[in-house]
Amino acid sequence: MGPLIPNGVIPYEWDSVLAILIGIAFGFVLESSGFSSSRKLAGVFYGYDFAVLKVFFTAAVVASIGLYYMDYLGYIRVAELYVQPTYLWGGIVGGAIMGVGFVAAGFCPGTALTSVAIGKIDAMVYVVGIMIGVFIFAEFYTLFQPLYEGSFLGNITVVDSFGVNPYWFIFILTIAAILAFYLTDLLGKKIKKVFY
Amino acid sequence: MNTTKSVSKRYVFLAAILIVLAGGLVLLPKYQKHEGIEPEELLSKAISPERYISTDILADKLVNQDPSFILIDVREESEYTKYSLPNAINIPLKKLLDEESIPYLNQAQYNVILFSNDNFYADQAWVLCNRLGYKNLKVLKGGINNWYKTIINPPVPTEDMTSLDYELYNTRKAASMFFGVAYPEQFKVDKPIEVKKVAPKKVITVQKKKKKPAEGGC
Repeated sequence: MGPLIPNGVIPYEWDSVLAILIGIAFGFVLESSGFSSSRKLAGVFYGYDFAVLKVFFTAAVVASIGLYYMDYLGYIRVAELYVQPTYLWGGIVGGAIMGVGFVAAGFCPGTALTSVAIGKIDAMVYVVGIMIGVFIFAEFYTLFQPLYEGSFLGNITVVDSFGVNPYWFIFILTIAAILAFYLTDLLGKKIKKVFY
Repeated sequence: MNTTKSVSKRYVFLAAILIVLAGGLVLLPKYQKHEGIEPEELLSKAISPERYISTDILADKLVNQDPSFILIDVREESEYTKYSLPNAINIPLKKLLDEESIPYLNQAQYNVILFSNDNFYADQAWVLCNRLGYKNLKVLKGGINNWYKTIINPPVPTEDMTSLDYELYNTRKAASMFFGVAYPEQFKVDKPIEVKKVAPKKVITVQKKKKKPAEGGC
């Protein structure tokens, strides 16, 4: 049956509408769970708040378990899902830049927008920074192009490229996630509380 | 203290649920998932009359040297060597899923027209290839038998048939000539029509005296 839009269960024209609705819901959940606070977000780097790690790890584990159950029951076909293409070096360099920006500002692009929505000035400055970055990238595109389009590995996944059994991979990932939650909890207790 | 304890209990419970669910994925009995297209899609394609191509259209394409299709003969090799359609490739039904036949069948460049003696074997090949998700597959309706009946040896229309039937017959006959069938009337030498010899009229031309420019004089 699924994915719904490629298989025509939902007409293709609806995808922007659905994207807006899902985006609103996502922003609402981000804001209501405190992800519009740069102090909370940056806490994962300083070790006093691991909410970011917990949220994204949980999201990944829950989504993959759910998807593979639906695949098993025939509601969705994992093979038909869109996989982001991998540009290896572009990804590494971009990830490093993103990480530096994350530590420095305490936002990732999505959470910055939720913060703008509730009127935080630092987030507005951050978004202006994003715009400047986009402008520089666009102006010097010919310079960045070899990095941006180079080392293309295709739409690969861990399961395909290493030939891992997806079910075992998810199981091990789940164990790793729970271990990470436990260890970060221990770590969080040792580090001096920061109130924000 | 009391609250933190209950919270940690809740976390333990949630963690246990995650582990059980993930472990369930590992332990679930695996089954062979069918590859290729969905059964409903296959059914809708199978019902569609578009999957057949008639012998007349095929003959037209062959005569006009349409480059957009390839013919695949799914009969045995012995039958193929005896007679087949022009430029047909022989892929017997048994060898349909072999590696060397995939490039012919699984491509998006040409239409693939499958045929056998009737359309039964070709239909089987069509279903197999469609299940694998190959595209642009067609079956020659009636196969070689029908090809022989309609194109190579077209039935002569009787007098009570419409002019359209006569037109169709003429087209088929012309096509069969293209494929090398000779008709007796081709060799019948028409009797020269006797034409009364009319003696050509004698045209008497009167030679006009040319006016000569005046000579001499002063």
